[in-house]
Amino acid sequence: MRPMTNIYQPDLMEVLDVQQQTTDVKSVRVRFRDDARGDDFLFRVGQFGMFSLFGYGESTFNICSSSNWKDFVEFCFRRTGRVTEALWSLEKNDTIGFRGPYGNSYPMDKWIGKNLIFIGGGIAMPPLRCAIWYALENREQFGDITIVYGARRVQDLVFRQELDRWAEYDRVRVVPCVDPGGETPNWTGEVGFVPAVTERAQIPAGNAVALVIGPPVMIKFTLPVLAKMGLADRDIYTSLENRMKCGVGKCGRCNCGPVYVCKEGPVFTLEQLKSLPNEY
Amino acid sequence: MSQIISKPAIRRLVERWLRQGKRVIAPVQVRPNLVSYQPVRSPDQVLLEGFVRPLNSIKQVVFPRHEQLFQYRVRGKQIDLLPAPLPDVERIVLAARPCDAAALPILDHVFNWEFRDATYNRRRELTTVVTLACTEYDAHCFCTSVGSQPNDTRGSDALLLDLGDQTLEVRCVTDKGQSLFAGQTEASTRTAPTGPGPERRADLRRVGQQLEQAFERSEWAAWTNRCLGCGACAYGCPACHCFDMVDEGGPTCGARVRNWDACQFGQFTLHASGHNPRNAQSQRQRQRIYHKFHVYPNKFGELLCTGCGNCTRNCPVSLGVLPVLEAIQAEGAK
Ligand code: SF4
Ligand code: SF4
Repeated sequence: MRPMTNIYQPDLMEVLDVQQQTTDVKSVRVRFRDDARGDDFLFRVGQFGMFSLFGYGESTFNICSSSNWKDFVEFCFRRTGRVTEALWSLEKNDTIGFRGPYGNSYPMDKWIGKNLIFIGGGIAMPPLRCAIWYALENREQFGDITIVYGARRVQDLVFRQELDRWAEYDRVRVVPCVDPGGETPNWTGEVGFVPAVTERAQIPAGNAVALVIGPPVMIKFTLPVLAKMGLADRDIYTSLENRMKCGVGKCGRCNCGPVYVCKEGPVFTLEQLKSLPNEY
Repeated sequence: MSQIISKPAIRRLVERWLRQGKRVIAPVQVRPNLVSYQPVRSPDQVLLEGFVRPLNSIKQVVFPRHEQLFQYRVRGKQIDLLPAPLPDVERIVLAARPCDAAALPILDHVFNWEFRDATYNRRRELTTVVTLACTEYDAHCFCTSVGSQPNDTRGSDALLLDLGDQTLEVRCVTDKGQSLFAGQTEASTRTAPTGPGPERRADLRRVGQQLEQAFERSEWAAWTNRCLGCGACAYGCPACHCFDMVDEGGPTCGARVRNWDACQFGQFTLHASGHNPRNAQSQRQRQRIYHKFHVYPNKFGELLCTGCGNCTRNCPVSLGVLPVLEAIQAEGAK
């Protein structure tokens, strides 16, 4: 019998680049130290990985790069706890651990031919970004693309430089916004909260699906707006962030009622969420 | 025809197993009023009668309380990961209660569901489980309410049943059990009667249907009000398997380890943002009940509970699953 591999032992990855996105958010680009592993590696946008620094521990992050990009993956984190505090000092050439990819993914194939609406708040940009790039790289497969992204202040927008690049694509509308008082003198985006900005934006909602990720309060007030626009619950998607340790359905903490977020999630439609207990 | 063995002969077998370098784990009277599964050093430590059940469980034989997953060494930019050595000592669990052994097939599902856990499976292969049918019960036993019984053979490789006068009937269940007792038993015409077991309190196999409607009930706080959140129910449970993974050691060398954890702790589900989906103790108790009697059964077709009663026995305020389930059922009957 072939010996079982150790499902908890990560692959080693080399840090290629670190970008400071905001005062407390960084994005990191990594590559498998083992070339063969890198060549074999496949994932789908929306999946996540367990990223670790030896001596500090593991954390769960969405893979925020597009699945079309070969040779490296990217993740993004906010400095909030023991592991992310340690990750904050990562530099080029450092080594981290990676397990994954885990979880389900955005049903990009199902979205072919649809208009796409991406709505995000604050640190929730990374899990949208992988899907946005994927859609732009397969531009002919999708209809109109609208991206509403808000943060408290201008300097809190993650992947801010990419917003302009996305806007250059055909039939793509980017609606950046900041909370009232968070604008700078030369800010040209919207001022207001994400739900209100979404409502004002007059987004054509026919034949559309929406991916909405952000703080619970943002999601709560955005959902009625989408409903008013005519989106059905089955056309509204989100990604849950339940705490995980193992990522492989064993450690017992990420379940939301009957579903294990690490295996049956993290991506759910609003229709599915409504059938689950509110444990997220 | 049945097979029998005398208790002195069993103890001679234990002696031999120990000499062969095998690890023997059995109920041991640690002190008055405390029986616990422990590795034994001598055959006379093994309890073969006179106890209801140990306060711990045999899960630690296949799923240790604390274990290294791998080690890391950091030298400059060079990092090496060294796999934790695979367990290689053969283990024999002797005189385990059927409600302990029955949890092993339950754990098997968890540790093999899509991703297979190598050290768990290795320990499982190395372990032979010999159970001892129960003849004594206490107020917390409820195996008969979850579709089990005192001579249930689920998870057992061989089952022993007391025939009185220092004699045990041996029923081999698996090949492992067969080979363990090959040539050690005598043929006999005596068979142990099936005892009634503890009084059947409810059909908890069907409580899942009631739970279907009970998640949002406001009574959860009342039903679980006295819970202290200490986690003792989970640690003493043969089927609870939640764990935590952390790094131990420094930035230059150490190990990633897994430790038993429990869903009763507030930190268990705390998000990095500070948000906690199970913020109240009653939500955490509800999770434990749902996981065992609704979530797991829907996935794997059996309960995540063997009716051993250890959760109540170990609970400092005598809660555990049965009192909560009885409260839910009483409400349902109204
Ligand atoms: S939940 Fe309680 S009764 Fe059921 S197996 Fe666990 S400890 Fe035993
Ligand atoms: S039910 Fe009892 S044993 Fe379990 S956490 Fe609550 S107080 Fe502790």
